[in-house]
Amino acid sequence: MSEIVALLDAHDVALFGSKAAGLGQALRDGLPVPPGVALAGAVVEAVASGDGEAIGRVAESVRPLGGPLAVRSSAVDEDGAEASFAGQHLTLLNVPGADELPSALNEIWWSANSDAAITYRQRVGLFTRPSVGVVVQLLVDPETAGVMFTRNPVSGAEETVIEASWGLGEAVVAGRVIPDHFRVDRAGEVIERIVGRKSIRYRGLADGGTVEEQVSPELAEELCLGEAQLRELSRLAGRCEEIYGPARDIEWAIADGTLYLLQCRAVTTAGG
Amino acid sequence: MSGTTIDALRDVPLFADLDGDELARVASVFKERRFADGETVIQQGSGAAAFFVIDSGAAQVIVDGDERRLMGPGEHFGEMALIDAGTRTATVVASGALVCSGVTFWDFQPLVEANGVIGWKLLRSLIEIYRSDREN
Repeated sequence: MSEIVALLDAHDVALFGSKAAGLGQALRDGLPVPPGVALAGAVVEAVASGDGEAIGRVAESVRPLGGPLAVRSSAVDEDGAEASFAGQHLTLLNVPGADELPSALNEIWWSANSDAAITYRQRVGLFTRPSVGVVVQLLVDPETAGVMFTRNPVSGAEETVIEASWGLGEAVVAGRVIPDHFRVDRAGEVIERIVGRKSIRYRGLADGGTVEEQVSPELAEELCLGEAQLRELSRLAGRCEEIYGPARDIEWAIADGTLYLLQCRAVTTAGG
Repeated sequence: MSGTTIDALRDVPLFADLDGDELARVASVFKERRFADGETVIQQGSGAAAFFVIDSGAAQVIVDGDERRLMGPGEHFGEMALIDAGTRTATVVASGALVCSGVTFWDFQPLVEANGVIGWKLLRSLIEIYRSDREN
């Protein structure tokens, strides 16, 4: 069985991790996921070890994607609980291209084998060797991005809750802004808009990595999503519930006017 | 794994009895790890996952908030993590760009389990370390 597959062909959670298998399923279901490649834990380990043959195979498979790349860890664990490892397993945004991938994979391998990760694993009773799959995707350069819950996470109401900010979604995920907050009912009608304070945004740098930059005071307090975009997001939320079941936690981005699904997972109490 | 690091492993008391071939086998499971200036390599009180040898750069050892000493290329830290994954007794912070070679106990344990001779020699070294500590 191949250890390097197009994201579309990532089926096996035990091989590629829950994030890769979930995104692969989303692609197979026609959801707008950026193109990518899934790497099994064993090949990530080989690249992290400096294995020239593995480095060559990975570079060859990833090069057609171009760049820049988003390189995300995809936990391979017996309980498949990716969300519970958030914070220990790294995501690297804006890796320039295939040539820079080996050092990114090395960094991700170590993030799953760090003192903090091992301590966490022991605390939750996991005594097996960590294995970390990786999802490599073309990094979208969004005007707007954020998170979305297909059920209201506070009230439990049957409505879509959207939190959005300018630039890369990490500003929302990392709590660096007060995002715009929207509630959309099941019919697609916007029932609440609360403008946030989005004083900064993250964007990719030409030579890799991301930078935090100031947003003008006017833009900081301007709603970053319009009616049509909110309806489109609401439709995406509905589609995700149809496919994966109720109460989904979604990361999304809008780049050049196109909506992308970056991650869809069950809402967990662990959050992150 | 560089020859430099194999040489550095010779200076680790835990590996004192290993011959060249055995050191090379141990060295083969190491992976490079890079740290930025000011990055914490290990944290006092945290669980311990890996043993490190410094390939290049420098790292500050800090115990209970006090800077104790600066380590440089060839020096090592955290070897007891390979045996019991116990608690770190010091914090180590990169002082400038730091390149280490590291091995986790997940990788070290199968190597020892598959090589009884290496295991026996490690046991002997541990006893020597224990006797030496008792005498001091």
